[in-house]
Amino acid sequence: MNGDFAIQTFNLTKTFNGLVAVDGIDLNIKKGELFALLGPNGAGKTTTINMLCCLLKPTSGTAQIMGYDINRQPFKIKEIIGVSPQETAISERLNPQENLNLIGELHGMNPRELKSRSQQLLETMGLADRAKDQVRKFSGGMKRRLSIMMALVHNPEILFLDEPTLGLDPQARRVMWEYIARLKEDKTILLTTHYMDEADFLADRISIIDEGKIVALGTSAELKTSMLEKHTMIISVQNLTQQVIKEMRARYAEVEITNGTMTISAQKLDFKEIVDLLHTSGATVRSAYIKEPTLEDVFLHITGKELRE
Amino acid sequence: MRFWEIGKRNLKELYRDPVALAFLLGMPLVFILIFSFAFGGQATRPLSIGIVDEDQSQISTAFVNCLESIPALEVAPPIYHSQSQAEEELDTGELSIYLLIPRGFGEAVEHRQAIDLELAYNEADPMLPQRAVPVIRAVALEFLNIPIPLNIELRETEVEIKDEYINYLIPGMAVFGLMILIPSVGGIMVRDRAKGFLSRLMTTPARPSDFIFGYSLPFVPVIVVSVAIYLGVGVLMGLSIIGNLGLAFLILFIIGICCLGIGMLLGTLAKSEEQASGAPWIFIIPIVMISGAWWPVEQMPSVIRSIADALPFLHAMDATRSIITLGTGLEAITNDLLYLVGWTVVIFALGVILFRRSMRS
Ligand SMILES: Nc1ncnc2c1ncn2[C@@H]1O[C@H](COP(=O)(O)OP(=O)(O)OP(=O)(O)O)[C@@H](O)[C@H]1O
Ligand SMILES: [Mg+2]
Repeated sequence: MNGDFAIQTFNLTKTFNGLVAVDGIDLNIKKGELFALLGPNGAGKTTTINMLCCLLKPTSGTAQIMGYDINRQPFKIKEIIGVSPQETAISERLNPQENLNLIGELHGMNPRELKSRSQQLLETMGLADRAKDQVRKFSGGMKRRLSIMMALVHNPEILFLDEPTLGLDPQARRVMWEYIARLKEDKTILLTTHYMDEADFLADRISIIDEGKIVALGTSAELKTSMLEKHTMIISVQNLTQQVIKEMRARYAEVEITNGTMTISAQKLDFKEIVDLLHTSGATVRSAYIKEPTLEDVFLHITGKELRE
Repeated sequence: MRFWEIGKRNLKELYRDPVALAFLLGMPLVFILIFSFAFGGQATRPLSIGIVDEDQSQISTAFVNCLESIPALEVAPPIYHSQSQAEEELDTGELSIYLLIPRGFGEAVEHRQAIDLELAYNEADPMLPQRAVPVIRAVALEFLNIPIPLNIELRETEVEIKDEYINYLIPGMAVFGLMILIPSVGGIMVRDRAKGFLSRLMTTPARPSDFIFGYSLPFVPVIVVSVAIYLGVGVLMGLSIIGNLGLAFLILFIIGICCLGIGMLLGTLAKSEEQASGAPWIFIIPIVMISGAWWPVEQMPSVIRSIADALPFLHAMDATRSIITLGTGLEAITNDLLYLVGWTVVIFALGVILFRRSMRS
């Protein structure tokens, strides 16, 4: 065990009656890191989290959380983790305050600290004015926010967030992102998502998981540059001549034209050269830009699949 | 004290759900009323009468045979020879009425003298002589063939047990009634599992025993109230309590807790709410049948009897009956009590073990 790592997995594997949900994952997540597991439905994200928070027994392999083994010391681990499950999990006939108290008390927090912390969370998440209403009357998004707060109330060292912004409106999502971003450094966070922008915005490192396997790992920038040796330029252009189209096709690997938009992809693109060529041919260029590769492209490139949004 | 935190939450979850609560507390009331009326009604049974034949002549024996042959009467065996025996049975509620054929009956018949009979009955049921006297008069008239002055003296007796059958029935019904809680008590746990809330709690440091006791806690008051309802309605129905009411309460409370433990086992194992609430009936009904809730089980095959004997329910019924009806004290039922506590401890321990297994699949 390396002292710098908060979470380490060793060939972590889970099969459900022959179906390999998680297939020999090796991860090393540093203390204070925000690590995102990015993958499509059924990739094995939730299964991985469930093994790490000691709800599922691995079929083979193991993992350590702050040096504690998930197979041998589950209750040590439960003391230091906070988990926000994928599905909203709250107690319907309790109010938000009581839901937070339940988790805080189960973690043995002292009442004063618990009170101030839950108050602060309720305010941050915009539920302070509803703190005394039974949560069964809440909207889906409000329940969702409460469910995530319950992972945070006891101020855990290690945080597992399974699709934390699922079902939130864009505004609440933004608030949640900012809140999670502020937790960085202080805590080690493992977050799963199938939103590219979420991983891009929040994560120090991203691991792309598909069919139970880690297929790519790195920072957002690393993934984008290392995985894509292809650049794309998008030009909005009028009065194209057959002549210039032919010339473009001769120079660049892929040239497509649809509704006055020319898309050029190649390993090397020369922005100035292309614009000049178009100008001299008599075409009118209204706009032109080089499109940055996105994680979406990375994912498509690696797995040959689209991520479902 | 993590079980207390989980328990507090479950108390709120249950007691803020008026429909669920009304069901849990209304069930025993409806249950005991239905069964008391269905089985406790006197009118449905033929008049059971004891006979004391002090005369023991050929004539008096013939008269007894004649009484025995009448369908409207059910002559309770044996035929007593002395009044004191019958008086004792009347007092303990084994008999609610008996007919005394006095010495000199045979001679009086032979000499066509006036005949005196005596009917002693339980004061709790003043309707008894009204039902018995016409029948006995009719039988005597037919037996004697010619009208002889027949004098039936009525004697109301103050007794301890007003209605022996109610005293038999109520403890059985109470235990049965506590058993029907089994399908309900696992409900919160099963629902929490389906909604992922149980998994969430499992990511906290709460231990298996915290869960089992925490999910049991809200039903403890339900059991106390249920036992109170069964005994209270029982008294209204004519239950006579000879022994220590507190001790009877304790026995019923423990079997209630034992049922709660069984409910927790089912809640731990059940995959769905339907399973948890449906499956228990498969064993509740047969167990009640063989445990003698309605009628004594002495005449059942020995295999069945030993099954009933091994389970805790029969012990609870018997102990409660003997406290209530015979006034048995703590010492005499210590074995039953220990047996019940033993079962309860084993069931909860098993619940904790199975729950621990379910925590990491
Ligand atoms: N309890 C289970 N029993 C059987 N199969 C399961 C179980 N849990 C998960 N699986 C299977 O394991 C695979 C991975 O599921 P998992 O929930 O980990 O995916 P995920 O990446 O979290 O997907 P999503 O984005 O939809 O949440 C799926 O094929 C799923 O059907
Ligand atoms: Mg998932």
